[in-house]
Amino acid sequence: MNNSLIPGNYLFISAFVIQFLAIVPLTILKNEKKAFVISNFILLIGLVLGLISTLSSKLFSFASFSSNDTLLFSNWIRLDGLGLYFLFIIQLVAIPTVIYNFSYLQHYIDQKRSIKSFVTFYIILLISTQFVVMANQAILFLVSWEVMSMSAYLGMLLEKEKEEVQKGSFYYFVASHLLVFILYIFFFLLHHQTNSWLLSDYHLTAATISLIPILFILSFVGFGIKAGFMPFHFWLPQAHPIAPTVLSAFLSGVIIKTGIYGILRTFQFLKPIPEWCGWLILVVSIFSAIFGVWYALAQHDIKRLLAYHSIENIGIIGIGIGIGFIGSANNLPVIEVLGFGGALLHTLNHAIFKSLLFLGSGVIYQNLGTRNIELMGGLVHRAKYLAILFLIGSIAISGIPPFNGFISEFIIYTGFFQTAKELKNYYPLLMLLFVVGLAFVGGLAVACFTKINSIMFLGTERKEVKHFHISVFDYISLGILALLCIVIGFYPQPFIGIVNKVISNGFVAANSPSALLNMNWLSITIIFSSILFGVIVLYFAKMQIHKRYGRRTSAAWSCGYENQSPRMQYTASSFADELNTIPKTILLYNKKVDSSKRVIPKPSSFESHSSDFVDNKIVLPGYSLLGKIISKIEFLSRTDIRYYIAFILVMIIIYSFIAFLWI
Amino acid sequence: MDIEILQGPIAIFVIIGIAPLFAGFINKQKAILTGRIGAPVLQPYYDLLRLFRKETINAKSSSFISQISPLINFIVIIVAAAMLPIGYWKPLISFNGDIILFAYTLGLARFFQILAAMDIGSSFEGMGASREATFALFAEPIFFFTLGSVAFISGLTSIYDIYHSIRLDNISYIVFIIICSISAFILAITECSRMPVDDPNTHLELTMIHEVMILDNSGFDLFLYLYSSYIKLFIYAILEISFFYPFSAKSYLLGIVIFIVGSIILSLTLAIVETITSRFKMKNIPQYLLFATAIGILNLLIYTFTK
Repeated sequence: MNNSLIPGNYLFISAFVIQFLAIVPLTILKNEKKAFVISNFILLIGLVLGLISTLSSKLFSFASFSSNDTLLFSNWIRLDGLGLYFLFIIQLVAIPTVIYNFSYLQHYIDQKRSIKSFVTFYIILLISTQFVVMANQAILFLVSWEVMSMSAYLGMLLEKEKEEVQKGSFYYFVASHLLVFILYIFFFLLHHQTNSWLLSDYHLTAATISLIPILFILSFVGFGIKAGFMPFHFWLPQAHPIAPTVLSAFLSGVIIKTGIYGILRTFQFLKPIPEWCGWLILVVSIFSAIFGVWYALAQHDIKRLLAYHSIENIGIIGIGIGIGFIGSANNLPVIEVLGFGGALLHTLNHAIFKSLLFLGSGVIYQNLGTRNIELMGGLVHRAKYLAILFLIGSIAISGIPPFNGFISEFIIYTGFFQTAKELKNYYPLLMLLFVVGLAFVGGLAVACFTKINSIMFLGTERKEVKHFHISVFDYISLGILALLCIVIGFYPQPFIGIVNKVISNGFVAANSPSALLNMNWLSITIIFSSILFGVIVLYFAKMQIHKRYGRRTSAAWSCGYENQSPRMQYTASSFADELNTIPKTILLYNKKVDSSKRVIPKPSSFESHSSDFVDNKIVLPGYSLLGKIISKIEFLSRTDIRYYIAFILVMIIIYSFIAFLWI
Repeated sequence: MDIEILQGPIAIFVIIGIAPLFAGFINKQKAILTGRIGAPVLQPYYDLLRLFRKETINAKSSSFISQISPLINFIVIIVAAAMLPIGYWKPLISFNGDIILFAYTLGLARFFQILAAMDIGSSFEGMGASREATFALFAEPIFFFTLGSVAFISGLTSIYDIYHSIRLDNISYIVFIIICSISAFILAITECSRMPVDDPNTHLELTMIHEVMILDNSGFDLFLYLYSSYIKLFIYAILEISFFYPFSAKSYLLGIVIFIVGSIILSLTLAIVETITSRFKMKNIPQYLLFATAIGILNLLIYTFTK
């Protein structure tokens, strides 16, 4: 206990106990609403205490610490820099979603729907996710992982009578099991090599270096399914939109990051990593980023669109990891620090702005009862502050200054430049291609987020809105997240410091270069502040000028036509049509134009639709092929239970035989 | 020397000050080339002054976005301009990595411009916004294939350093730089909405990109938009001219001379291009931009393999 990272381990333990206790009111109290409010409040206290104890650790203070310093209860639960950083992300994002719960679940209570089980699963989800990053024992890790996946699955079934919910959650269920199966093999191989179940003992010796490629592929596929790298992403856009908003925010913001955590954790076992691993991650990531955002551009369902954006951002994080791997393979700590630094900071940033956007979309869904952005419009006149908060999230996620998305992308860009500089030869050319790819992603993200902001909030109402209500809890939770976006954007130094500590603790050698800290963060702060200052000054000047020379409002120009209707506005489909037509074979982008050419025209219509390539061309055909093959052995299926007992017996004999040979 | 500290602020005031003049100069030359007398060279200043004193009219359906977008546009363009060198004058903002900040601040301006266009709720602006988003996407790679590739080869990440790392001692490098400058010229045409991508003079809404986005703005808002578009044109002109600084042999005076002569030659080139070409069909513009991108890739490939 001497070299503990956190001064008060008791605070830490009590935080978890309180979080567990939050389940109690749900089981005792009969009154649905009372039980939920009390339990949610207890959960909030537990999370805040957890965050305080995390923040009081050495990672977040000025004190330096070595990689031997860990939060140590036993060998099974152990927190090092990486674990602590992810714990921080989980708790930071969980708090606003729990605050948001107060208003969000109220709608379900009003509908006389039972939410007790949902809240229970949500509490279990939060706790098990925290255990995933704390577990230092492979079995405990897998168990918490499985509890995390399954509680999220059960939480998704809140509106289980809907067909889309059944379909989407089934995708999630299958993908989760597939990846856990791969993780089993991964950890058993590791155990077989090192004869230990402790994650901290997994250091490969020279004799086992030949296993690195297999282990790397297993971990990248296994954790990659969770993170949502293309082409393993097919479940993500199906599952995330159908979950209740608090859950989708947490799924997209945090749960997929456990995949990133897994990949980074694996990196610590697999040293020395061969360089091709870095290239593989880079190529897969840039592919995920470009097509993730392009698919997003073609969506009309706001939550589905945001789910595709998660794939894009996972791609950007992956790019950072890829650079880090290349730096590690070439023994260049500067590149390693920049790559992993960008990835880690983007993980935090994405968790913040993605949950901000999801929670914002949830407010709109509760009020309008639709997720289709084509039916929205003009909401800025109903909810100005919601529009501003959503806009902050959109600018941040597009990687545009002055918010946090830019900071992490800036580090990743610098990583590319640094790689080209240090490893001359053909590296500049290859790195430039990736830089252009990343710039392309940025351009697509701008197109996508200008699209949803303008279609949802600007213009005039496409469908009449009767009333629009936003509760104070919504404002608090969204406000916290938006504030974080602004703070990390304008003043990134403390967060850069934390990331740097994480990296120098377990990633690169202790005397790692301070490449991250030496970047010109002060210039960035000054420039961003002066932009803000300039805009404010100019705004007051503008008000004075308006006073002097006048300002009024009038109808928009439409060539003299006066009766503009909301239906004449540009729609989301028409805005994105030109861009979506370019990769239409990959996006499976279909247009249906029905226009009449008669003298007195009939009503015409336009429809555009995009479906997932991997899902429709690989997964579903593969699934039906599997079904056909399995139907060939259908004759084994009998109604009599004794046949099955015989089958089981035969299998046991085969297994024991194999096990016997193995030993 | 004290004067060195003042270089940055002076440079930015010069850019803001003479940007409209540059636009007026192009228009005058264009008029002469097409056999007209044309408006005075100082006409852009008169236009700005006139707009400044006009009443501002906003569309009824517009929101706060229309209010703040012109301001953000103007400030952000000035910040971008503050990163550019004039001869050997060190720009106001110059640090490692400012090339990325430059590209992304312009992205911020574009983000708000598109939002402000969609804010009106009219199909005209929607059309312009959609086109702007599409073509900007194809223009983005060109920037990184021109200035970015020089940056990657030199290993430097500050715009000032990148331009001053250009050397004239290696023939394949000179060819590389010349082709980069050609790509940069195409980029300038696209980003500044000049012919043959966009026509700054027409007022037929269906055919335009930039002009149609600001269709419903007037008064002070239009003043800011127009002024930012002048500065933006001049920014891209400087990006182009700066490729020729190595000829100045590190002399401050010669650097300024190259800046002035370069501006004049570039304005003449733009005027000639706009006189002899007509605007492309909208669907051909992506091909034109991809062509510039392809030049950039090939150029870098050839340079990498002949080095």
